[in-house]
Amino acid sequence: MTGTPQIEFSDVDKHYGSFHALKSIDLTIPKGQFVALVGPSGCGKSTLLRSIAGLEKISSGTIRIAGQTVNDIPPRKRDLAMVFQSYALYPHMNVRDNLTYALRLKGIAKDERAKAADDVAKIIGLEGLLDRKPKELSGGQRQRVAMGRAIIRQPKAFLFDEPLSNLDASLRVRMRKEIRALHDRIGSTSVYVTHDQIEAMTMADHVVVMQAGVIEQQGPPLELYERPVNRFVAGFIGSPAMNFVDATVTDDGTKVVLELQSKPTIAIAGQLEPGRKVTAGLRPEHIETGDPSAQDMAPIMIGAAEATGATTYLFSDDDPELIIVTDGANLIKQGETVGFSIAPERVHLFDPGSGRALTQSGG
Amino acid sequence: MNRLMTSLRDGIGFDTLLIFAALAYLMAFAGLPLIYNIIISFQQVDMFSLGSLFHQAVGFENYAAVFHDPLAWRVLVNTVVFTLASVFFQFTIGFAFALFFNQKFPGATWFRGLFLAGWVMPGLVVGVLWNWLLSGDFGVINYVLLSLGLISEPIFWRSDVDYSLIAVILANIWYGMPFNMILLAVGLAAIPDDLYEAAELDGANAVQRFFTITLPMMRATIGAVLALGIIFTLQQFDLFAAITSGGPAGSSTVAQYWSWQLSFREFDFGRGAVISVIMIIVVLGVSAIYVRSTRAETRL
Amino acid sequence: MNDRARNIALFAVALVLAGIYLFPLYWMYVTSLKTNSSIFAVPPEFLPGTPQWQTYALIWDEANIPRYIFNSLFIATGVTLVTAVVGSGAAYVLARYRNLWIDVALFVILMLQVLPPSLMVTPIFVAFSSVGLLDYPRIATILAISAKTMPFFVILCRAAFMTIPRELEEAALVDGNSRAGALFMVVLPLARNGILVAAILIFMQGFGEYVYSTSLIADNRLQPASIGMTNFLQPNVVTWNAIMAFAATYVTPILALFVLLQRNIVSGLTSGALK
Repeated sequence: MTGTPQIEFSDVDKHYGSFHALKSIDLTIPKGQFVALVGPSGCGKSTLLRSIAGLEKISSGTIRIAGQTVNDIPPRKRDLAMVFQSYALYPHMNVRDNLTYALRLKGIAKDERAKAADDVAKIIGLEGLLDRKPKELSGGQRQRVAMGRAIIRQPKAFLFDEPLSNLDASLRVRMRKEIRALHDRIGSTSVYVTHDQIEAMTMADHVVVMQAGVIEQQGPPLELYERPVNRFVAGFIGSPAMNFVDATVTDDGTKVVLELQSKPTIAIAGQLEPGRKVTAGLRPEHIETGDPSAQDMAPIMIGAAEATGATTYLFSDDDPELIIVTDGANLIKQGETVGFSIAPERVHLFDPGSGRALTQSGG
Repeated sequence: MNRLMTSLRDGIGFDTLLIFAALAYLMAFAGLPLIYNIIISFQQVDMFSLGSLFHQAVGFENYAAVFHDPLAWRVLVNTVVFTLASVFFQFTIGFAFALFFNQKFPGATWFRGLFLAGWVMPGLVVGVLWNWLLSGDFGVINYVLLSLGLISEPIFWRSDVDYSLIAVILANIWYGMPFNMILLAVGLAAIPDDLYEAAELDGANAVQRFFTITLPMMRATIGAVLALGIIFTLQQFDLFAAITSGGPAGSSTVAQYWSWQLSFREFDFGRGAVISVIMIIVVLGVSAIYVRSTRAETRL
Repeated sequence: MNDRARNIALFAVALVLAGIYLFPLYWMYVTSLKTNSSIFAVPPEFLPGTPQWQTYALIWDEANIPRYIFNSLFIATGVTLVTAVVGSGAAYVLARYRNLWIDVALFVILMLQVLPPSLMVTPIFVAFSSVGLLDYPRIATILAISAKTMPFFVILCRAAFMTIPRELEEAALVDGNSRAGALFMVVLPLARNGILVAAILIFMQGFGEYVYSTSLIADNRLQPASIGMTNFLQPNVVTWNAIMAFAATYVTPILALFVLLQRNIVSGLTSGALK
């Protein structure tokens, strides 16, 4: 990551009574970047965001915003804008007053505020709705007001707390693009919390994956996809999730035998200690299917097939099953035996105990 | 100092200030009197010693005097009878009304709300109304009972030692019933309709549905309503003041009225405090049980 | 039985039940409009003859009604102000947090709600008289009643505050409010209805209060209407029409307020009372 740091965490901890919500977090968010915090619920991503805003007090460590330590600075003096999951629009104010509330608190004159509201309404497409109360708006419109309330200021950063989770699927896809476009246009720093890894992957420059109060891995989206550092990140990023199969390294150390019914052997990149137990990670979309009798193809029995048109999901007759994503034109049926293969460099290997990715020597 | 101001403006100091303002107020005007009450129950306090905060200590003399008072036993029985009879009838009548208005017909909720008109009235006015209704020679209630042939001669409700307590109980049932009804109605409304439909499909008739669905589902509400009924009944004072003044001959005196009489009619504040201390322990005991049980139910 | 017949039958029963229950109120108004002799008619006259409105005019001056009502309003207003100003903040804090200390505070407040005034008045009277507060009897009465009404107000208002999403307040903080600013500009306006209903219930209690008033206010000129009524109610009283006129003058404003706000009062009451 490059650029001047806008938000920095150093060795931040947060306890709620005996619950350890954030565990020695170190994170630097450069100016102008769009950073997504992603993880399962309860992983600490919202706590992290709220401690940037000052809505949670951290137990130890330092948070700096634009170089200034903000540990003891109240939310109102941090100059940040936040979009809440429920939008948190003030029900007793109309859209204009909602948009300009922060400006009013700053003491900005009324006509100047009105002009700012008009400008923002144009940007987010809310002209004509300024006199309405929040309850008279649709879900999508409310979401836009919440966005407008953030961009009407020039804050040091935008904070998003799962802002799209209350929208229906098609609107969510559209708003994803709009939020990213707004970010690029304003050139602001954004921190975006979501539990949806697709949102994180598609919107962010930099993705931070969290679990149980710990940052598991951070980096550009594709790096997380291609080089997950552990089994948790590998399983969390990507949809459908990566297949994990117990495996044993062969005598020459360049192949593994998968613990499936047909005991298939696949090649790996590099070399591992012969006889070692590993967990092999195979992304469903990286598995090729073909004639089971062909060379380099391992046979596998299909337990179920779900055709969605564009793609077909195959489930092997194993426990746990192996999921394969194939082209929709592939007419494979339940009970058939097919051949499968995967490129050696696309096979991920993890230590079964620690879950850490194994660096393969040589190759 | 600066930190304090910051905390008051932006931090936990703000909440602390707000909650402590209320707690300090309650401490001054309820908590301290509670403690002071115990102190003066061991002191000789009359009109002449009122001016000073501390008075001559007399040990358990006030307690002994109260327990040996010829009225004590009568007051104890009256208090128990008044409380149980009031709560029982307020509850059963209130429950019957709640069940009736729980049936869906036009205006049901509106009618139900109308009954609270009794509950919002000042207790003293309710007492005065019932004083008139229960009048011996010209009271409407006697007239109705005589016309229906239920009694053969007028009952002197307020001045007959056998009826004076009943007179206050009647007024109290009227006064407290609506509150019981409303709380029970809320509990009834919270029972999902499909439970009744399922029970009906399982072959339960209306009576069986009441005993197998309604009552078990209402357990928490019923407990709360009975506890609140006892608590409110032990607070009742105005009706006694307006209907019988505890008389005749103490026949309708209950503990909370006796305590006041000793203090403000006989100006023996020490003995008034004795009864006050005892009754407050009873009331707090009942409430503590109630609060604890509701907390278990609702994880308050 | 079809639905229509059932509804009509139930409606009729409801009408009869409400009629019986509200008869004492009817009887108050009817008696107040009768002549001195017809109140003692046997059998009682259930319908009023010529309404004797002059009874109201008569007692208005003779029974000092303006003075009594003024004192009742004075006490009720004072009680409502003290209770609302001190109690609202506590209700807000109790709604906002959830921890052991809050539970303890809530328990203390619930316990203070149940203390019977006729028992608390003894220590309060002795203490107030020794510290000189009884020189200001109406203020003393307001302070004593408020300690009784505050717990109830806090419980009702807490229920109102709990319905306001915490995120709204947080949004206000991020937008630049101090804690007090967020409370006054966002939270209080949204909780307005609940607070108003609770305040009205407290006002009604203050308006009809008797125990503290009669024990702490010795000066007849400072006493509220509840005591005014008992002054009327001497043994062997005969002027029931005048007493009922006094009662009607006293409670009609309360009943009017109740009819006007019935819906809000019922829902406000039930939201707080059982929690």
